[in-house]
Amino acid sequence: MATLQLNNIVKDFGGTQVIKGVDLEVKDREFVVFVGPSGCGKSTLMRMIAGLESATSGDILIDGERINDVGPADRGLAMVFQSYALYPHMTVEDNMGFSLRLAKVPKAERREKVLAAARILQLEELLDRKPRALSGGQRQRVAIGRAIVRNPSIFLFDEPLSNLDAALRVQMRIELARLHEELDATMIYVTHDQIEAMTMADKIVVLQGGVVEQIGSPMALYHHPRNRFVAGFIGSPKMNFLGVEVRGADAEGVDVVLPGGDCRVPVEANGVSSGDTLTLGVRPEHLTLDDQGPLTGNILVIERLGGATTLYLENADSQWTLVADGDVAHRVHDQVRFSFDPACAHLFNGSGEALPHRHRHPLVAIDRKENRAPSA
Amino acid sequence: MKTSKRWLPLTFKIALLTLLLLWTLIPITWMVLSSFKPNDIITAGTPRVFFTPTLEHYTSLFSSGNSLWPYLLNSLFIAGVSTLIAVVLGCMAGFGLSRIRIKGKQHLAFWIISTRMAPIAAVIVPLYLLFRYLYLLDTHAGLIVAYLSFNLPFAIWLMTAFFDDLPLDLEEAAMIDGATKLQAFRYVVLPLMTPGLVTTAILCFIFAWNDYAFAQTFSGPSTQTIPIAAAQLLTQTGIDWGKLLAIGTIVVCPMAIAGLLVKRWLVQGLTLGAVK
Repeated sequence: MATLQLNNIVKDFGGTQVIKGVDLEVKDREFVVFVGPSGCGKSTLMRMIAGLESATSGDILIDGERINDVGPADRGLAMVFQSYALYPHMTVEDNMGFSLRLAKVPKAERREKVLAAARILQLEELLDRKPRALSGGQRQRVAIGRAIVRNPSIFLFDEPLSNLDAALRVQMRIELARLHEELDATMIYVTHDQIEAMTMADKIVVLQGGVVEQIGSPMALYHHPRNRFVAGFIGSPKMNFLGVEVRGADAEGVDVVLPGGDCRVPVEANGVSSGDTLTLGVRPEHLTLDDQGPLTGNILVIERLGGATTLYLENADSQWTLVADGDVAHRVHDQVRFSFDPACAHLFNGSGEALPHRHRHPLVAIDRKENRAPSA
Repeated sequence: MKTSKRWLPLTFKIALLTLLLLWTLIPITWMVLSSFKPNDIITAGTPRVFFTPTLEHYTSLFSSGNSLWPYLLNSLFIAGVSTLIAVVLGCMAGFGLSRIRIKGKQHLAFWIISTRMAPIAAVIVPLYLLFRYLYLLDTHAGLIVAYLSFNLPFAIWLMTAFFDDLPLDLEEAAMIDGATKLQAFRYVVLPLMTPGLVTTAILCFIFAWNDYAFAQTFSGPSTQTIPIAAAQLLTQTGIDWGKLLAIGTIVVCPMAIAGLLVKRWLVQGLTLGAVK
């Protein structure tokens, strides 16, 4: 049961600023995911929360108390490492009970707590094994078990699933989500995998170059990205971008020029006027093949996934990615026309900031708990 | 196709290894076998393969007026203490050198190992003068210090490499589990360092155990080591081959066994399964 607050955190590595003033508030029992491309500072930020790196300036507060000068041992956190970092010379039981042994908890009580955690993770059979005799997924579980035994105020996960194969990753993702329900603890999770971020988070923090680009619920980031970076980073395949000229703007939206006719995007004009150049953003899944559509393209590559088909298109001045039905019959080099619902489109100004949509998407405020059945 | 490509280098490898093995093993086998032969057969023109083994050289080594015992104890004590100090200090220094973030760390590490590169002959006279002023000639401490001057930089360098191989995550995990830096070292790092410590210890011990030059220069009547005892058998009136070969066997055998142990530790790779 804990809250975390970061106030203007800066980290300087020998003259290079890797974290450039991060503010963040994590509520009690919240699942917060740090996501961003490699080198964006997400792991460094987590290591500062854990106490493995010191903050150059700024405050880190847990439950309102400043802990910058408290060592990692005394912060009451638990961390699951990307490498799992299991102690190779100890059995699973000793690995999980190591923190209790350091805290001089009597042996009987230690065993009881380890068993309780092992039961949650189905590790009872493996307690006598050494880490090298475990599979990747089992090691992952032991690392999580070690964190649970510590009964921490906040769980930290540093890319915990990146060493697992795809099938196991999906399974562990669901297990972690259920674990969060069961433990009802505050969790902070670092990943570069946006699917993990979208599926598990209450709140996603998108980082780039040591700066927070946007903080919000998964659906808020998807439907209302604050800038071009977030728009391109969240969603797969990536959002399409096209430079467009403004025909006019009023209270209802902004009119932009497309090759096959004008289009009115329902966003706040924010001082945009006729003749300005903006960037139009449309997600591949919001483009539809449409013989009357205002856009055209020549098919370069077709990726058939069975349920959906991804088309890579090219025309004289732009490239497009379009997600269509699984049974699309087009062939490479076919010339196709396509369109989109302007309500799903985004407009970005010259500095990459999004013009805010006039209507909020209804799913933006959805609570994580609404997506998961309560555990028995 | 694939097999024929690999076939040639493999034969070459086997031939090379066989040659190397013969080169190394023949003199040692000859020495060990001959140490059990009566004197008249040792020097026979044609080496004899079948003979009645005798322990006479070994018994005379330990029973005669000039017994080997004091030499053996000196060797064990001096090599043992200098190895212990080198490993303890080398372990701590190596840990620091591997983990602490300081500028010019690689230069510091290179400077340390460079002190090991000086030939023994270059330091022997200055050390002799120093030891004379410090009354360290003909003392156990003198020889221990002399061996340390070569073994310590070597131990630091080797231990640094072993620590570099140990994932930092493990210590960090221990610290998050509530361990102090010292507890993380004691409970997590040290147990995983056993292969490194044993390897370092055996290599340091071999250097001190085998040394002749330092022992010849700095030791006196009460501190002579086994290599000195062996040299004393080469006299102007003749060479006592039987005893000499027996001493040689006594010197080589413990080291050969230790060498096999190092191999076992090196191959084991205890950190397997720690990460990933």
